[in-house]
Amino acid sequence: MNIRRVAVTGLGVVAPLGASIDDLFTNLKAGRSGIARLAAPAFEGLRSPIGACVAFDGAAHFAAAKIRMLDRVSQLALVAAAQAIADAKLDFTTERSERCGVSVGTSMGGAETTDEGYHTIYAERSERVKPYTVLASMTNAAASWIGIDYGICGPNLTYSTACSSSAVALGEAARRIRSGDVDVMLAGGTEAPLTFGVLRAWEAMRTIASPDLHDPSASCRPFAQTRTGLVLGEGAAFVTLEEWNHAVARGAQIRAELTGYGLTTDCAHITRPTVAGQAGAMRAALTSAGLSRDEVDYVNAHGTATLQNDSVETAAIKEVFGKRAYQIPVSSTKSMHGHLLGAAGALEFVIAVASLERGIVPPTMHLDLPDPACDLDYVAGHARSGMILRAVMSNSFAFGGTNAVLIAEQPDNERRRLSRQ
Amino acid sequence: MSTLETLQDILIDEFALTREQLTPDAELNALGVDSLDLLELMFKIEDRYKLAIRDDVPTTLSTVNDVVLYIDGLLGRQGKALGADGAALHAAT
Repeated sequence: MNIRRVAVTGLGVVAPLGASIDDLFTNLKAGRSGIARLAAPAFEGLRSPIGACVAFDGAAHFAAAKIRMLDRVSQLALVAAAQAIADAKLDFTTERSERCGVSVGTSMGGAETTDEGYHTIYAERSERVKPYTVLASMTNAAASWIGIDYGICGPNLTYSTACSSSAVALGEAARRIRSGDVDVMLAGGTEAPLTFGVLRAWEAMRTIASPDLHDPSASCRPFAQTRTGLVLGEGAAFVTLEEWNHAVARGAQIRAELTGYGLTTDCAHITRPTVAGQAGAMRAALTSAGLSRDEVDYVNAHGTATLQNDSVETAAIKEVFGKRAYQIPVSSTKSMHGHLLGAAGALEFVIAVASLERGIVPPTMHLDLPDPACDLDYVAGHARSGMILRAVMSNSFAFGGTNAVLIAEQPDNERRRLSRQ
Repeated sequence: MSTLETLQDILIDEFALTREQLTPDAELNALGVDSLDLLELMFKIEDRYKLAIRDDVPTTLSTVNDVVLYIDGLLGRQGKALGADGAALHAAT
């Protein structure tokens, strides 16, 4: 049988620490943190005024008449998607538009617009709700705008599974290419949650990290005994996914192959993760890639720095990889770029692909004192260069329990490819 | 300042248009100002003229002049012929 393979031909990011994959990866490699104190007056009154912002002004990218229709979440998505398309040197006007699709993950959607609308209604007691409130805040706005701007007329889908949303968006996009429904999918995630209302709601759940008094940029400490929670970040990340022969035929540069996608649901508790659910998703991803547990060379962990996640994820990795778990570098780049919620899965997959291409594993920062329950090789403090990486895994777990795991491999990983067929 | 000039100022600010494009018979749609934009525009007009427009903006306004006539009509009905600077100034049309 002819197996349709999924090539990754373009990457795009607008994230804390970089508005291109090269800038972002340089900063991650150097262990820099994009987390900072939120000093603007709008954030006054927060218990934990920290976050990972993107230096991004939509007015530099969109005309005045258009920007009024776009929440920040769509602005970030459109710019990251444009990068992924340009990187792939893809011209949608020469493609069969119904054979191309868009797949986006977001958790909060147009949160800024929603926040502003509520302020108008309840705080100002005003009737002046902006006419574009519904269209800017609806969760599928980002995906729709990408489709409109590039004339992509196949499936246009938005997934919302909290923190695994965009891992699901990528995985489901890959499945559509494999099934033969489409040849090209622009897939990614976007999130713009840094509003007072959203931050306040997350604080109320007691999951946000306490600011590090000496160094706010070190507030997110995955796998550390001193971890106190996650730090919210904003941004967008997109990949251009193509059926392998489609990419080869147009002479595209294939950066990686998306070979594995595993999806399970905890069915236990709305916030507490389970070892069985996370391990099941990793195993399912290995199975779909046709890889053994000995063939994964790096795991980009979900690693949120919440009390619950990090020990459960560590236990799940050990359950899946056995003794080998101790030999695989596992890092949480959230220690630097924060938790992008619905955009996290796509961003971390893009980082994993960049690792694969460069043979460099980015570090977990601020891990001076590991939790005894977290005893793997977390690449603490310093990036590791000169690595031979053939297959990398990116974990995304979520409130609600939807666990999504993606695997990318070197495009020339011939031996494994043959063994899969 | 006439109603036309005031409207032109707002549209120039908000939609990056030029005064030359904003002739009285220019079609709003052709200028990239659609029906939802027009509703948002009305918030600015309410402020400028201290008018209460609420949700009764007719859907038949298609040219710049249609909007001018609509505003002037409201100014007459609500007895608030105020200029942008708040001085008693009759909207000259």
